[in-house]
Amino acid sequence: MGLLSVLTEVAIFIVSACLVASIAFIGPARLLELRSEAIPRLLDSKRLIAVLLVVLVTNGLIRDATQNLSWVFGWNVTPLIRQIEGGVVIYIQSFATPLLTAYFSYIYVFGYAFLLIFPFLAYLSLSDQTHFRSLVLAYTLNYGLGLLCYLLFIAYGPRNSFGPGLVESLLFDTYPQFQFLTRSVNVPTNVFPSLHTSLSATVALLAFHTRREYPIWLWVSTVLAVSVFISTMYLGIHWLLDVLAGLVLAVVSVEGARRYVKTGSFIGRSSTDSDESAEVRS
Amino acid sequence: MPSVLSSTPTRRSLLAAGGAFGALASAGCVRQARNIAGRDRPEQLSLDVKTIPGDADPFGLATANRLVEALKSVGVAAQLTPLEPEEFYRQVLINHNFDIYVGQFPEQFEFDPDALYPLLHSKFDTEPGWQNPFGFTNLECNDLLESQRTQTGGRRRETVRDLQAHVARTGPFVPIALIDQLTAVRTDRFDGWDPVWPTAPLGLLGLERVADTADTLRLSSTDQRITVNRNPIAAEFRRHGAIIGLLYDPLTRRDGDELIPWLAESVDWERSDDGVEAIVRVRPDLSWHDGTAITAEDIAFTYRFLTDTSLGNAEDPIPTPKFRGRSSLVSEVVVESDSTATISFEDVSREIAPIALTVPLLPEHIWTEKTGPATIAGIEVNSETTEAVVWNNPEPVGSGPLQFESATDGERAAFELFEDYFLVDGRDTEIPEPYASGPAFDRLEIQLAGTDSSTIEIVSIGDADATLSTLGPGVIERINDESALNLITSQSHAFYHLGFNTRRAPLGNPHFRRTVAQLIDKDALVEDVTDGFGEPIASPLAGTEWLAPSLEWDGRDPTVPFFDDGSGELNVTMAREQFTEHGFQYNDEDELVVRNR
Repeated sequence: MGLLSVLTEVAIFIVSACLVASIAFIGPARLLELRSEAIPRLLDSKRLIAVLLVVLVTNGLIRDATQNLSWVFGWNVTPLIRQIEGGVVIYIQSFATPLLTAYFSYIYVFGYAFLLIFPFLAYLSLSDQTHFRSLVLAYTLNYGLGLLCYLLFIAYGPRNSFGPGLVESLLFDTYPQFQFLTRSVNVPTNVFPSLHTSLSATVALLAFHTRREYPIWLWVSTVLAVSVFISTMYLGIHWLLDVLAGLVLAVVSVEGARRYVKTGSFIGRSSTDSDESAEVRS
Repeated sequence: MPSVLSSTPTRRSLLAAGGAFGALASAGCVRQARNIAGRDRPEQLSLDVKTIPGDADPFGLATANRLVEALKSVGVAAQLTPLEPEEFYRQVLINHNFDIYVGQFPEQFEFDPDALYPLLHSKFDTEPGWQNPFGFTNLECNDLLESQRTQTGGRRRETVRDLQAHVARTGPFVPIALIDQLTAVRTDRFDGWDPVWPTAPLGLLGLERVADTADTLRLSSTDQRITVNRNPIAAEFRRHGAIIGLLYDPLTRRDGDELIPWLAESVDWERSDDGVEAIVRVRPDLSWHDGTAITAEDIAFTYRFLTDTSLGNAEDPIPTPKFRGRSSLVSEVVVESDSTATISFEDVSREIAPIALTVPLLPEHIWTEKTGPATIAGIEVNSETTEAVVWNNPEPVGSGPLQFESATDGERAAFELFEDYFLVDGRDTEIPEPYASGPAFDRLEIQLAGTDSSTIEIVSIGDADATLSTLGPGVIERINDESALNLITSQSHAFYHLGFNTRRAPLGNPHFRRTVAQLIDKDALVEDVTDGFGEPIASPLAGTEWLAPSLEWDGRDPTVPFFDDGSGELNVTMAREQFTEHGFQYNDEDELVVRNR
């Protein structure tokens, strides 16, 4: 089974990477505390976690249906995106070397998976659970709003618009086995916005807000996130506009989530003041 | 487009000026203002090029990209719209909603020139499917198409040559290239892959089992349509019909130049007053997959149904979007007995008539239920469509060696051996080897993948025995590198072409179409994108014995040669001059402009 072996590889990598990162970033003291605190803390956020799970499961279940709906009602923006940004991705791919392709392919699959999963551990280990809740809610918003965009917009990525000779499908031509994985979680017309970008940016933004707790993680996550942004374009999967839209989606999701967690409302008073004080307190 | 935006304020300001000065100015002045403001300003011509995305069709996408770039360089606002296969065919073939498309003719296997009849005859203009999607109307073309049906031998050959020359000159579509169909196979479980057509129905039937444990033949594909729709008459869901061809048997099967009586035990031909007749006797004790007996009534039903899926219930006949050329050959079917039917052909020669017997036979008891108008949740939405045409046919009841087992949308589809099939129930048939003993497998499973390289990966790791869908040339190296994989290249007859929607100005103008055809360097395209696994063509019949000698490729297109500037690049000036020569205009910004689009 092609899919199974890829999944196993990714799983092994994530477990080991999280292990190393936990020791390096979270530290033994917090980890020891987490042993007893993990369950109560998870239970504290059970509603938010349940919502995220519901969104994820629904996303999986209705992906085919939304895809069909999208072809009936959606707006095919591929030509428009291409008209606006032209050959940005062709330019980016002109720097391609086998080494870069390997780096970005592994970033796109393994780096991204680690980037998304580790924050759960990191923020669950903090005594102040607002960051954990913000994380869960921000992911939910990313997926929810992203799904809505996929319903409204049909867009093929550069590799499917320019094609061979102009934009190569670097990831799948070099590592066809990764296709088993991405195919089972995505469809080729769902590129606007880039969820790879928005979720990675979400992690980096939250890392900025928790820079006092995890100063090095801010740098690690930023480097990883920027690598993910570039990889989506380098591999011919996303347009520059998808990435920019992904960044906007990340900012909206993170800000929305942080406000909601602090004030109980998405459009409540700006959270800048309480933000500062919260960080000072913790 | 800037010209659109600027034209409105100009007109408005003129009108406003006319209004303000109306009281003072003379009547003559106002008249002139009206004369100026009332004229439509020409706008830049914009054209949309539709095609299938690179994952499913790398060559088509590359062709479309070059066309779009060339059109832009000659001042046309061109854009490329990739569409998933199902949507592409729906928009192009069913709704005729396109300017230009880049696609492949659906007949992958060698076809009779009569296949051009439904493609180009003007009487099919309004019909959905591979029936004149171009909206091409030309009396001379109609005459040639009709004559070749009645002729035989040298005269027909002559007519078919004239027809090709005519098509090349008027250019409702531009033949681009024939690209070899590439198939990656492994031989540790099944062998005897047909060197010409490994995944055609007969190619799969001719396989032999190598490993005793191998009971399932597994194919990998990027084309998910068979997993969601198994309707043999739905044009937008069918590719070359390999799997459908194993689910639904025809009366006779084409094997190279031969027609093998298949469901028919015998076919006797007789001359009639105005054509020919075929007396068809079906094999005894045949049954559909659901156990119902196959009779001559099903033959009569099939041809009636193919010409009108409403069976007379709709105001006008609603023919099937597929098999239209073949069904239009038949004028009448008379049931003589349970096993015998006489099929009459009017104004059709004995040479062409037999191809009508290669359509899949459809069970009357299933499809008569589907003749009502198509509905969504019980509401009739389109009286010009019958349920039969839009039905997904989830559990097809056919008569072929394979019957449906199970499927998951977009993931997989499985078919199993039909136990009562006439090749496996122990009877003697005159069906030649290697088909005589039926399939060498008990199941056939199709596994979906997202790109051509991952279909090969599935074969390479041993999860599938062969690839089914189109492979791009980018994967050849990979196949050659893996010792377990063999590459089979077959010359495909599914020619790539640009199709013009001649219903839309200025695509109705043959001069315009010809000039567009000259923007493409077919030679360079084939060389750059296919790695030598293809050839540029100038006629849809290239690669067959029917090709007109005047349309043979000799380094350049004999009718619409590329505007070469000497270095292999497009000579933009020459192209623009030719547009101007044919009455097209350019504005100050070098944009090709048209009125009343």
